[in-house]
Amino acid sequence: MSNKKGGGDLRRFYIILAAVALVGIAAVGYSVGTGAFRGATHVPLSLEDTDDPRRLMELAVPVIDGDPDAPVSILVFGDYLCGHCATFSLRERPRILSEYVETGKARLVYYDFVLNPEPEYGTFLAARAARCAGDQGHFWEFHDQLYLNQLRWGMESGKAGIFQRYAEGMGLDGPEFRACLNSDRHAVEVSANREMALALGLGGTPAILVGTGQGMSRRLRDYFFQSVQEAVEALLEGVG
Amino acid sequence: MTEASLAGGLGVPPVQGPPGNRMAVAFLALLGLLVSVYMLAYALGFTGDVMCGVGDCEKVQSSPYAWIGPVPVSALGVAGYLALLVVSLLGLQPSMQHSRTVPLALLGGTVAGVGFSAYLTYLEAFVIHAWCQWCVISAILMVLAFLASLPELRSLRSAPRA
Repeated sequence: MSNKKGGGDLRRFYIILAAVALVGIAAVGYSVGTGAFRGATHVPLSLEDTDDPRRLMELAVPVIDGDPDAPVSILVFGDYLCGHCATFSLRERPRILSEYVETGKARLVYYDFVLNPEPEYGTFLAARAARCAGDQGHFWEFHDQLYLNQLRWGMESGKAGIFQRYAEGMGLDGPEFRACLNSDRHAVEVSANREMALALGLGGTPAILVGTGQGMSRRLRDYFFQSVQEAVEALLEGVG
Repeated sequence: MTEASLAGGLGVPPVQGPPGNRMAVAFLALLGLLVSVYMLAYALGFTGDVMCGVGDCEKVQSSPYAWIGPVPVSALGVAGYLALLVVSLLGLQPSMQHSRTVPLALLGGTVAGVGFSAYLTYLEAFVIHAWCQWCVISAILMVLAFLASLPELRSLRSAPRA
């Protein structure tokens, strides 16, 4: 008699427990699926006073690789979902680095040019993520990771979670990176970089400009090493 | 004569319904497990802003005390509550109702859980100077699980030694 009653109690208890577990799992699942990185700024900001070139130059902060006093500047405007930008960054840039940047002849100046500002593309967030990694001294590593995997993260939803995993995979401080990504940090610089690219009339990416920092830089016809080499050598001769 | 007293007279432990205190521990451990899984998902960046009606969860979860080396504290919570849940569910099986292992594991586990929760609560109060409602809820659940485990002392005394 008591065994039967005990079995019935236990069955009822298991049903209640299973129901609570299901509701709980659904609630956590919902939070993971819909609430991920709610605090993150996914789209470029509307900046004020960017009609003033001086103000725009103040706000548009590039990431610089190499000697800041190098005689030649190689300006790169890139978008993390642009295939040619990936080719430039992964194939041409290493040669530029070894020939000119590491030798102190030129510096590489990277500007984000988010071509598609809609949040579903995730390129604005990607640009911010790279800068969040830069806060921990890993901008270029993250930049290369984004280009290397652009076909993967570009096709996926939940991009912030993917970037978070990239950061943790590189050994970055996970909570620090998450806090940065889940905020509006670097949104002004990335937005201003885009405004500057538009103001310069750069219609596409990658846009490579080479100059000495004195006067206007010249936009190259393509992004291949040879073009960069010709332009840099010509400028170095002029400087020398 | 009742069934229970007959069995007792033959030296066999009386057959009773499932122990209510173990059901309570299992229920509390499940709630604690869900809270810990949510906090773990947050710590690993799978959720957005943590839902925090009371206190400053963000400050607590962003503090260095939210991680022990590469392991988020919430992962320890997941492991601890999962272990408590498994032990308490095992303890509901008729074959385990008179085992000494279950009371020992429940008491040991909840004492350790209360100790760890007390340490985390101390950190919130005196080091981080912020409260995370989910950590407080977890601490309360662990204290309740400990209180629900206290009847195991009686089981421990009456259970036959191996």
